[in-house]
Amino acid sequence: MQQLDITPALDYQSESYKDAYSRINAIVIEGEQEAFDNYYKLAELLPDAKDDLLRLAKMEKRHMKGFQACGKNLSVIADMEFAQAFFEQLHDNFKQAWDEGKIVTCLLIQSLIIETFAISAYNIYIPVADDFARKITEGVVKDEYMHLNFGEEWLKANFEASKTELEEANRQNLPIVWAMLNQVADDANVLGMEKEALVEDFMITYGEALGNIGFSSREVMKLSAQGLATV
Amino acid sequence: MFGLIGHLTSLDHAQAVARDLGYPEYADQGLDFWCSAPPQIVDNIKVTSATGQIIEGRYVESCFLPEMLAARRIKTAARKVVNAMAHAQKNGIDITALGGFSSIIFENFNLSQMRQVRNVSLEFERFTTGNTHTAYIICRQVEAAAAKLDINLSTATVAVCGATGDIGSAVCRWLTARTDIQELLLVARNQERLQSLQAELGRGTIADSLEAAVAQADIVVWVASMPKGVNIDSEILKRPCLMIDGGYPKNLDSHFNAEGVYVLKGGIVEHSLDIDWRIMNIVNMDVPARQLFACFAEAMLLEFEKWYTNFSWGRNQITLEKMDMIGQSSVRHGFRPLLQLNSPSLVSEGS
Repeated sequence: MQQLDITPALDYQSESYKDAYSRINAIVIEGEQEAFDNYYKLAELLPDAKDDLLRLAKMEKRHMKGFQACGKNLSVIADMEFAQAFFEQLHDNFKQAWDEGKIVTCLLIQSLIIETFAISAYNIYIPVADDFARKITEGVVKDEYMHLNFGEEWLKANFEASKTELEEANRQNLPIVWAMLNQVADDANVLGMEKEALVEDFMITYGEALGNIGFSSREVMKLSAQGLATV
Repeated sequence: MFGLIGHLTSLDHAQAVARDLGYPEYADQGLDFWCSAPPQIVDNIKVTSATGQIIEGRYVESCFLPEMLAARRIKTAARKVVNAMAHAQKNGIDITALGGFSSIIFENFNLSQMRQVRNVSLEFERFTTGNTHTAYIICRQVEAAAAKLDINLSTATVAVCGATGDIGSAVCRWLTARTDIQELLLVARNQERLQSLQAELGRGTIADSLEAAVAQADIVVWVASMPKGVNIDSEILKRPCLMIDGGYPKNLDSHFNAEGVYVLKGGIVEHSLDIDWRIMNIVNMDVPARQLFACFAEAMLLEFEKWYTNFSWGRNQITLEKMDMIGQSSVRHGFRPLLQLNSPSLVSEGS
């Protein structure tokens, strides 16, 4: 019988692992920081959900600290400059949408795209993580599903009014995610995370979220593959 | 509610189907894209039993393609199967059949160790390979088609290609216990497993080669798991020769026009009433509203009977008692083995 090698042996202390980890760890830390900032801003736009959003923001801050500890545990200095540049386009798009008062676009970027990006990365990372990081990441991913659910519920309740803006925001932002994944594919591979598994996990979770919001299966298939072909 | 996890037979087939269903963004993509594509529910199904009972089901396309195995993308193939299972479970499906390669991948790569799929813990009792019903139907096809062709089983040699597999071993058990065939030829790659099957059956000859077995046989049952079909020269075959091809994709790549050579699609059933679905058009069934894979029908039978259990599970666990049980249910609800000889093959090349 052929054996399925689920957990390849990784040397967490090798220079190549730590070099790749310095960028991936930075992205995760920056992603949690972006999420903290974004939920804080969303709380201003959605006063009814202010308490919930501030609670989510605080959780993201806690996640960020957890991931900083993961880097420290492996004696890796996170390359935050790389990570800020990595998130720049999504960051700018969120800021522009917020400036224009486009709540739906803001929620799509933060609650759907960034949360799904995090969930898929954490799901693929957990089986190949070092013991310390695995425990932290397992705790975080449970929270992230809750955060995704916040966006889903709000957009579901406002589906008809949000549908067109969601489609436009998806068209504008999803191709950025594929480009981001491509940018870190080599580093992720060093950590034992395969690009095709990341893309697949993203499409599954993102597709489920779009389905929960109210899109039909056919719409979900089209929306979640948007821009993927050109990558 | 029942579910069916299926896949298409090749990249060409997948691209053509995506185009037909109106997904151009999937249709123009190569294997890498399919390796990342998520499972999808692409059909809602309604089935009426001969008893009048009506059940509903879903078809889950796993986006697995046999080329993934040929290209040694084993992890990808494994993900396709467990992701499709998680998708079925998340959608509240009570009993789902693992069609085509799905059950083979699950078993060969021991996917029971991958129970946790993202935020879903797979409940294996919600799934069945459907192999018990497939094996039962193939056995009935052997008996009925032989009678149709005046092949007397008591003087016939039957070769089973893929004899040590889950379906193959069940077919051998049935042929040994329930028929009086003169000779049983066992064909498979693994000698150790062949010897152990022969010991279990207390009969059967281990064939020297595939070609030698096929040349000696009056009836050949093809139930090997192969990503691509094999070519057989019709010159070497006995006349008459009945070939029952239960592979998906089919084991036989040859098209026989020779007189006296009869090919029957193995493991296919016909329902006595039309089924409301689209998916069997996609695999080019002759009568798409009525013909289907027996493994899929097993999920329907389990739903009709409310036997919410992994009826067919593991490797070489299929007993004659379970074949009888599913067989009686099959008859009760209006399914019968396909007996149409030499009909066009399922999914023509490049379609």
